[in-house]
Amino acid sequence: MTKLTQGQLIDQIKTLKDIKPRKEWAVLLKSQILAEKNNGMEIIGQSAKFVGFSNIFVNIFSPRKLAYSLSVILFLVIGVLGFARYTVPGDLLFPVKKISEQSQAALSGQTSLKQDVAILNNRINDLAQVSRDGRTGNIPSTIAEIKTNASELTKSLKKNSVNDPQTIKDIASSLKTLSDVPGTDLTTNSDVKDLYQAVVQNQVSDLKKETLNDSQKNILAQAENLYEQGKYSEALEKILLIGK
Amino acid sequence: MADNLNEQFSQIYDQYIDKIYRFIYLKVDSREAAEDITSKVFIKGWESYNDRGQDSNSMVKNPGAFLYQIARNSVVDYYRERGRTKTISPEISPEMADPDENPQNKAIISSDVAIIKKAIQKLDKDHQDIILWYYLEDMPVADIAKLLDKPAGTVRVMLHRGLKELKGIIQE
Repeated sequence: MTKLTQGQLIDQIKTLKDIKPRKEWAVLLKSQILAEKNNGMEIIGQSAKFVGFSNIFVNIFSPRKLAYSLSVILFLVIGVLGFARYTVPGDLLFPVKKISEQSQAALSGQTSLKQDVAILNNRINDLAQVSRDGRTGNIPSTIAEIKTNASELTKSLKKNSVNDPQTIKDIASSLKTLSDVPGTDLTTNSDVKDLYQAVVQNQVSDLKKETLNDSQKNILAQAENLYEQGKYSEALEKILLIGK
Repeated sequence: MADNLNEQFSQIYDQYIDKIYRFIYLKVDSREAAEDITSKVFIKGWESYNDRGQDSNSMVKNPGAFLYQIARNSVVDYYRERGRTKTISPEISPEMADPDENPQNKAIISSDVAIIKKAIQKLDKDHQDIILWYYLEDMPVADIAKLLDKPAGTVRVMLHRGLKELKGIIQE
């Protein structure tokens, strides 16, 4: 700042008139002082402390700060959820994705069986993804998740008779995807095997009620034979060939 | 009677809250400190106003002068409590001192006003007060003279010198 005239300097001093206290603070202080008038000087003295405390309270809970805080929390939640969408078992934020999946399924009004099918399908897709990406560190956690989901789903299938053939077809399709994931043969795992068994059993039972041509009847017979031998995954392959 | 007292003090409060706050704010380094000291000034003013049975009650006679006097002493106490030897703290930037300032004040503080505030804080206490009262609060020289207990002529000279010194600080 160079060559300042006296007039300019005075004008600049006068701009300080724009400095004013916060309105809410000024109003609060006035009401505090006047409200304590009948309670003696001691309480008036305390009111200064109360104004200080109220200031903190007003500062924390002022609508503007509250709005900022909520916005930050909202951004964080959206960010975490968004990031969690791309996680797989074994990742730090995978539990968030799991909770999110369960919440979405519950909110969509799906039956528990359909929720289990959808979650198993998601985990199988995760396994396919980590296998493609070569993320070997995530494979054990993903397989563990699949085993747990397969076990839960088998229990659901055994407990409740399934009237919806589409659900069984969805499981069969997921199992097919699982068998196609390179380097992760889970068809011999007991949890997955049980699921194969339950699905094949359901499918054979359904197909027997359908009208089949000779070729389809022949494939069904082969599938039943494989089922009897405990070759459930192969039996499922045959069933899928029928295309019903 | 009590309501009347309330009403009168309420008017005094409305008339002086901005002025006292501004006067204190320009001498301290944060809004929190300014609010805290201003609170104390008005609480003391209210205590004195309640004691108006005494004929020589200066709060009743001249509330402005009374409040400014408390404000001056309170600022001195504030710096004494903080162990400072100077009345002001020019090394503390006013922009940094008030991160939570409202948008209006933020805009003000961010420009030339920050320079002015910092420069005023470099003046000695009497020069600061005279300049603020005369130019900022439009207080007549006679009233300033009474407040400082100095002859009006001395106040005029101090005002002139203070302004010159302020100009020199800004132009440094």
